[in-house]
Amino acid sequence: MSYIAGVDIGNSTTEVCVGEVTPDGNLTFLTTASCPTTGTKGTIENVHSVKNALRLAMDRIGRDTSDIDLIRLNEAAPVIGDTAMETLTETVITDSSMIGHNPSTPAGAGQAVGEILLIGKLSRAVPGTDYILAASAEHTYEEVAATVNQNPDVSIVGIILQADEAVLVENRLTRKVPVIDEVRRIDRLPDGVPAAIEVALPGQTIRMLSNPYGIATLLNLNADETRTVTPIAKSLIGKRSAVVLKTPGGNIHENILPAGEIYFYGDRNITVSLDEGADRIMQAETEAGDIRDISGQPDTNVGNMLSRIRTGMSELDRSEQADVRITDILAVDTLAPVLISGALAGETCLEKAVGIAAMVRTQKLPMQEIAARLHQDLETEVKVAGVEAVMASLGALTTPGTKLPLAILDMGGGSTDAAVISEEGRVTLTHQAGAGELVSMLIETELGLGDRHIAEQIKRYPLAKVESLFHMRMENGQMTFVDESIDPRFFGRVVLLTENGLIRIEQEIPMEKIVQVRREAKRKVFVTNAFRALTKVAPDHNLRNISTVVLVGGSAEDFEIPEMLMEEFADYRIVCGRGNIRGSEGPRNAVATGLVLSYIGERVI
Amino acid sequence: MQISEELIRQITSAVISQMSQAGASSESGSTAGTGDVSGSWSTSAGEVPSMAGRERINEEKTSYADYPRAKQGTDPKEVVIGVGAAFQREIKKTICGIPLDEVLRNVKAGIEEEGMIPRVVKILDTSDVCFMALEAAKLSGSGIGVGIQSKGTTVIHQRDLYPLSNLELFPQAPLMTLETYRQIGQNAAKYVKGEQVVPIPSTNDPMCRPKYQVKAALMHIAETEQLDPEVGAVEWEG
Repeated sequence: MSYIAGVDIGNSTTEVCVGEVTPDGNLTFLTTASCPTTGTKGTIENVHSVKNALRLAMDRIGRDTSDIDLIRLNEAAPVIGDTAMETLTETVITDSSMIGHNPSTPAGAGQAVGEILLIGKLSRAVPGTDYILAASAEHTYEEVAATVNQNPDVSIVGIILQADEAVLVENRLTRKVPVIDEVRRIDRLPDGVPAAIEVALPGQTIRMLSNPYGIATLLNLNADETRTVTPIAKSLIGKRSAVVLKTPGGNIHENILPAGEIYFYGDRNITVSLDEGADRIMQAETEAGDIRDISGQPDTNVGNMLSRIRTGMSELDRSEQADVRITDILAVDTLAPVLISGALAGETCLEKAVGIAAMVRTQKLPMQEIAARLHQDLETEVKVAGVEAVMASLGALTTPGTKLPLAILDMGGGSTDAAVISEEGRVTLTHQAGAGELVSMLIETELGLGDRHIAEQIKRYPLAKVESLFHMRMENGQMTFVDESIDPRFFGRVVLLTENGLIRIEQEIPMEKIVQVRREAKRKVFVTNAFRALTKVAPDHNLRNISTVVLVGGSAEDFEIPEMLMEEFADYRIVCGRGNIRGSEGPRNAVATGLVLSYIGERVI
Repeated sequence: MQISEELIRQITSAVISQMSQAGASSESGSTAGTGDVSGSWSTSAGEVPSMAGRERINEEKTSYADYPRAKQGTDPKEVVIGVGAAFQREIKKTICGIPLDEVLRNVKAGIEEEGMIPRVVKILDTSDVCFMALEAAKLSGSGIGVGIQSKGTTVIHQRDLYPLSNLELFPQAPLMTLETYRQIGQNAAKYVKGEQVVPIPSTNDPMCRPKYQVKAALMHIAETEQLDPEVGAVEWEG
């Protein structure tokens, strides 16, 4: 009787599975565990996570790691993934020509056109001209309201405030005008310049200033000038209040940033510029056929990113014949909120961006070194056994209701791998760039979170909005009431429902928007990649030749990705679902299970 | 911070005995027996009136029997501010010297800016800020209330919570500014609207407690003296 451990070192998670083999060849699975991978996959640093995971697993059955008789490591696919983001456009405001933002409480409603009049220069006002009063935070709401009320001969048609006091001022006005507040850089407003302001009705967004002809109407622009204000109108779409100034030199540009080119070396060599967008890049990749290598224009962001990945990989394999190549990339179009340079109220604009995941391949990872170190540390026999994809397929076959031929889709953190095993046991496999980590990056960028950790959490857990201290609305619209009051820190917030309670999202983003971004990111990465990968491994490259697909890997545990894929594959009459390794483990642990199973296979032979 | 009545009594008696000693040694230094000590809390320790021979901080107890009793609100946009018994009367400035008129004005302005309606009541049942705030919340049409002690400590509360599990507590009164009070008003109104509240940046000073403990205790006693549970709560317009 002996204990056999299967160890699967992945890009982000290390999984182990321990089984007991009796001398007559009977196998019982005893325990499993997983923990985050230390270091880059396939490096000697992995030893720590392997030991940790083994200890966790053995603790569960009250045994020690020294009881293990044989450790079987996977021959990890020599690929690692990395991601990068590139912004393609940039909006620049010159000479403060526009303020458009969403202060939580503007006051009044409607549009007004007039000359900017700073509150300190009230005496220069002449009858017959309309003015828009601008007041810095030094002036209290009582002062501003009194100034307007006591000068009925000065025609003030609108007010711009620096402090958050629009409602307070408006409540004290005898004559109601639209009031915009929270304009941080009010000191940069030029005195005496014609301006138009607009405040939308509650629940609506501005209409006149987000329309080029609306701006033209309010500020009397000719056709040429109207053309130049189009970007202004565009960036004001969806705002609750806005100010547009007519300054002679003022303008707003949408710059296209030089983003660099990507070179594909394959059956055909193709060059594509990054700013042509994700669709064009992916098309070029297909046109290039069987890709030997991909590189980027030197000294551009994409060039630097690709060479960084390449360097990282070459450090893993220092041998002379090291042959490090980037064999696959996945490009995804996205939008990134970027602070507009020159803005007066901290406005952001959604800029076009491209997210890229790349896949590097070398000849072989130094798995033998890891095995040697493990042997030395644990004094146990360690063997590098079996190709990752084959082991995953073996493990996946333990899912109830599967049979050969079988396709597996292993969706991990760094890569999406697919393999097809025919009835004769022949295995075709592929590795594609782009998986869970790219999804996290897209979520982080598109929501402007600036924090990868919270993006990971958003990817993983469903959302709810805490509407009162006693109930919350789930993202599917369902209401949930609680017995004990919810912690007030969560009041009014969008929260993530995790197994360890709630996590609040600090940014003020509507729940619907987060749901939409999250689903879209998953769809862009996993649906695209699932089709790409399965088409590559399918007999005759035709999806219809595949009848069953088992989803395994960390991202198959996701609460919506399997459903998304199931819906997509339904059109091809493919049975597709989340794997359930050994009928109990869910989609995880396929490779580790396969490694233990293969031990029996070897003994029989 | 835990202050039992016992502790306060000890501190007070220690302070009183010290002050009477100081008063005995320099006869002209103190202004014993001037009756009204209101507004003197922000002045330096040397000017604090002598407590020699007195059992109360303020001899006079203000009667609120003639004031209109606080009504139960019905307007769902209403936020009730419950102020302490000595608020704007016996005590006119917070522990760090901010005029209470200004404090109240800013909390009300914050509520108004968010489109809600402030109403002020004076709580005479209790001087514990959490219970004050809860009582204000129960009187409020929206169920949200703000409790402000005369020394400046503030709590935002909701009517169906336990007294000590409030929405937001601002315990370090000496570090509060008018800007903080404005934001407290805004946040209270946001609770009414069910909107996401903005975390209010506050400073924290570990030396605050030793520095202000005696003053806080005295101010609290001055407030507690003015309680009148038979009257309960009255409408208060400053």
